[in-house]
Amino acid sequence: MAIKKAFANSFSLVKSEVADFYRSQKLYPVIITLIIAAIMPFFVSSYVISEVLTPMIIFAIYASSWNLLASSGQGSLGHAAFLGIGGFTSALLTIKLGLPSIASLFLGSLISAAIGVLIGLACVRLKAWFLAMVTFGFSVIIVTIFSEFDEFTGAIMGFRTPLIVERGIPFYYTALVFSAISIFIIYLIMKSKLGLAFRAIHQNELEAKMIGINTAKYRLIAFVISTFFAGLAGGLYAQSIQYIQNFIFAPYYSFLPLMMSVIGGLGTIEGPIVGSVIIRVIDSYLPSLDSALDGLLHPLFPSVSHVGPPLRMLGLGVFFIVIVIFAPKGVSPLIKKAYNYLRSSPKEKKHDER
Amino acid sequence: MITSGLIQALLWGIASGCVYILLATGLNIIFGVMKLVNFAHGQLLMIGAYIAFTVTSALGLNAYIAILVAMGAVALIGVGLERFTFRKVLGTDKLNEIFISLGLIYVFENAAVLLWGNTPQQIPSPLKGTQLYIGQIAIGYDRLLAILIVGVILFALFLLLKKTKIGLAMRATSQKSSASMLMGVNIEKVYIFTFALGAALAGAAGALYGMIFPFDPSIGALPTIKAFAIIIIGGLGSIPGAVIGGLLYGIAENLAVYLLGGIWQDAIAFALLIIVLVIRPTGIFGERGE
Amino acid sequence: MQKKLVIALIAVIVIITAVVASWQLTQLPSSEARPIKIGLVACYEKAEGQDMDRAAKLAVKEINDAGGVYVRDWHTKVPIELVIVDTQDDTPSKSVGPVTRAIIEDEVDLLIGGYTSAGTLANQVVAIEHRVPYIITGASTSLVTRRGPQGNYGGLPDGDTRRIEDAEGMSYMFHYCTTTADYSKTVVKFFAEEMKPLLDSKYGFDSSRKLRLAILYRDDAFGKGVAADTKALIQSYNLPIEIVAERSYPTTATSFQTDLTAVKDASPDAVYVVDFIANTAEIIKEGQRDVGLNTVYIAVECCEDPAFYTLLGPYGHEQLLESKFAPYAGPPYYLASIENYVKKYQETYGTLPGMMGADTYDAFYIAKDAIERAGTLDKAAIRDALESCALDQILIITETGKIEFSTGTNYHEIAPVTFVEQLIWNADVNECRSVIVYPATAPGVGKLKQADFVLPTAYAPGSP
Repeated sequence: MAIKKAFANSFSLVKSEVADFYRSQKLYPVIITLIIAAIMPFFVSSYVISEVLTPMIIFAIYASSWNLLASSGQGSLGHAAFLGIGGFTSALLTIKLGLPSIASLFLGSLISAAIGVLIGLACVRLKAWFLAMVTFGFSVIIVTIFSEFDEFTGAIMGFRTPLIVERGIPFYYTALVFSAISIFIIYLIMKSKLGLAFRAIHQNELEAKMIGINTAKYRLIAFVISTFFAGLAGGLYAQSIQYIQNFIFAPYYSFLPLMMSVIGGLGTIEGPIVGSVIIRVIDSYLPSLDSALDGLLHPLFPSVSHVGPPLRMLGLGVFFIVIVIFAPKGVSPLIKKAYNYLRSSPKEKKHDER
Repeated sequence: MITSGLIQALLWGIASGCVYILLATGLNIIFGVMKLVNFAHGQLLMIGAYIAFTVTSALGLNAYIAILVAMGAVALIGVGLERFTFRKVLGTDKLNEIFISLGLIYVFENAAVLLWGNTPQQIPSPLKGTQLYIGQIAIGYDRLLAILIVGVILFALFLLLKKTKIGLAMRATSQKSSASMLMGVNIEKVYIFTFALGAALAGAAGALYGMIFPFDPSIGALPTIKAFAIIIIGGLGSIPGAVIGGLLYGIAENLAVYLLGGIWQDAIAFALLIIVLVIRPTGIFGERGE
Repeated sequence: MQKKLVIALIAVIVIITAVVASWQLTQLPSSEARPIKIGLVACYEKAEGQDMDRAAKLAVKEINDAGGVYVRDWHTKVPIELVIVDTQDDTPSKSVGPVTRAIIEDEVDLLIGGYTSAGTLANQVVAIEHRVPYIITGASTSLVTRRGPQGNYGGLPDGDTRRIEDAEGMSYMFHYCTTTADYSKTVVKFFAEEMKPLLDSKYGFDSSRKLRLAILYRDDAFGKGVAADTKALIQSYNLPIEIVAERSYPTTATSFQTDLTAVKDASPDAVYVVDFIANTAEIIKEGQRDVGLNTVYIAVECCEDPAFYTLLGPYGHEQLLESKFAPYAGPPYYLASIENYVKKYQETYGTLPGMMGADTYDAFYIAKDAIERAGTLDKAAIRDALESCALDQILIITETGKIEFSTGTNYHEIAPVTFVEQLIWNADVNECRSVIVYPATAPGVGKLKQADFVLPTAYAPGSP
């Protein structure tokens, strides 16, 4: 009975949230973005579709999942562990048990969330730095675990992942659909009472406890939801490059959603998406400058033969610190400002004239 | 079965443990006084190693004098960090400190690659290659000297904290910063000094590390994790805890490698960390827990 | 009568001339002729990738200076255009993108290169799907050509996660590199045939005593693969070698003293170090200098690089290196083509060549030969021509003296000859230089051995 009631409650809640969203200003940019994303494939080469756009969309899910967790004050430094768990389990379930790919994708995400429960339990009472260390530690240990069971996981050499749909345009649209739905769900959660609880805990855990919020419970919930979507992103990413191996647990993949969220706008729903676009573009197109940079800058840096990558990473680090100190809300407020300016220009003008 | 190899591994554990102690103590001091956690602390060790390397190879200085140079230089870098990055986010969202640390990791590591390249280096120690033989067991003189130097530095630190005015100010701030502010302690000055001190210790650790192990720009990451493991095991904010924790950690690491194999070298830090955090969240000497 | 004969004769001559002339016309260079695009898949962040780049540019320049590659279909020679495919750090996620771009946007005719096993296994999938011939000059795993469906040409059984079902696509993959089994084969045979008799006679051991070997390797697919192959080969060849210690360490390790101490405790006659240049050099140094493990160390062929000799310094004296290309073992070199290559490389770049560049250099000539025999740039025809390659060996020596890609169970692999060198300190250059000590001869080369193997001066055998 209680379950039925809970279901009914949450359903009407979702309905009202969706109605709110429909009426809100936010609908237009979302529709525009989706339309642009839908027609992109007709204007770019298949290389751009599969190597630039698809990963961009998938990492938007990944970054959003991290963002959700961070909104509850839990800044995980080991999210790559769940990206990888999702990737490996979904691929292995299809290959070893013959399950249809889409089923294994969901199962993989569920398994990732289940492990998220375990780690979350260990982390619920930890302060920010401890949580960061433990999550990072977990991402290191998981590599050792996967390597130990290499006969089963094939983690050391890696293997080819089976796909839901054909690579290229069909997969792009599939990823787009998954991404849109996932991010919308995360949006609903963040707007709901659940999200409110997360933010309250983040703001001041002591006060939240005093109001009567069971901080441990909500932190765990945040962890589980976040790791579910991280696992989903992992399963999709493994399919997008059609390969999975231990590389996916590397610290780089743990820092990626963090960088994307912070640069884009921590705590907002559009932040991770913006961040994913920015970083993907940097990663895909800046390396082509490498050979030119080598020629130009080699005399300045005689000890290193290939100047490009460290220079790029250094620039990213500096840019990141600048954003944290001077623009803690990230890049998306700037974009919002620009958008609002363009939208309200005629109205403002009228207003000014009066 | 006590083989000579086991004892050798044990002694090496003590020597590497000492380097970790310095790093952990620096981190501990910064956390104790400023309640700030710097994940880029290991990179300060790495920079210290490179600075010591540069002065010994370019200027021909003795490796042991290079330690002092490295301490001074890294302390200056620490002052810069405190003033221009960490101070701006102190008091805001705790996550910001983590973000700044991560950004700094990228900055330091890649700056090091650009300045010195990727190939592993080592600081030439005048005692390299000479061993003290106790029966079958060999221990390098440079390691013994490293243990001695760490002891000296820790003793100097102890004197500083217990006997000097600034030490008193630091201890007061670590216990209750608001109260000490009322008592007239210049918090800003204390913070700068503390960070510089912590950085100097990291620089010294780096210079010693560089004499014993080969190093490259990426070596900063693991020592940071080990330093954290030590602090957590010994109890956050407790200096004697860090000392004992450091020794225990160094011994455990070497024994694990000797008995179980090299692959446990890194994982053991985290395994220990997680075990201790789960069993006794305040650490062995738990003073200020979480 | 005579008039008719003359007219007939003139007619015949005119017809023959016309036929010949029109045939000549079709042999003019076709307007479709364009440069051949060959993608070099290399990891430019690493020194080996830079070596491959230099070797590739040298080969392309040589070929283009001689006019280029003759394409029969176009009746003309065309130059090779080198397309750089930089895989950055060669992790699977970073290496797939550049290869995809090369195939789809740059439209390369052929790919040459590959560095790590995992990265190549990932990026070759794109080439397989698009049927682009790929001469893989890196990647020590034989899976790069043998992961197709099981057949009488190697391949993986059903249910193996690594299997690729596309047999047709797999036929475009060619592996011009030694596999981990190739290294270990020579190493274990050397220990059994050369070192053990030497030990037995010098220390008066009984001939039934097995040689005590320790393996110290990096904990990843490469290290594990070599360790596993070594043990398997000792078994299958029934060699008198016993593995007394087998230890691995994480790839991030920079110091190995504790592991070396454990190895010392096991009392080996020799230590097989499986790692790349920096770590191997460190292990050999630490073993002798810090741990007192005075045995003989043998390094794998990826250490055959100028940086290795520099890092080792005097600690390399009398130590061993398994190799397939020895720019330091001469002059005089065991093969004239090596002499030319080393000289040209040094003149052009001011440094000695490394091992990965040698494979790459050869691969360009293999590609040229295949295109010329195919007569066209049709990828299927090039693939067929590669399969029937019978070029004389260039820089890498093979068991038959010719470059041949097998169509049997060693699918699309060559049969290289690897050898063992001993490093000798050379005071003139302040570094070690090498001499080949095993095997004695090789096909197409004749005498390969340059000196006898000697035990290091401070050497102490294992006990008993």
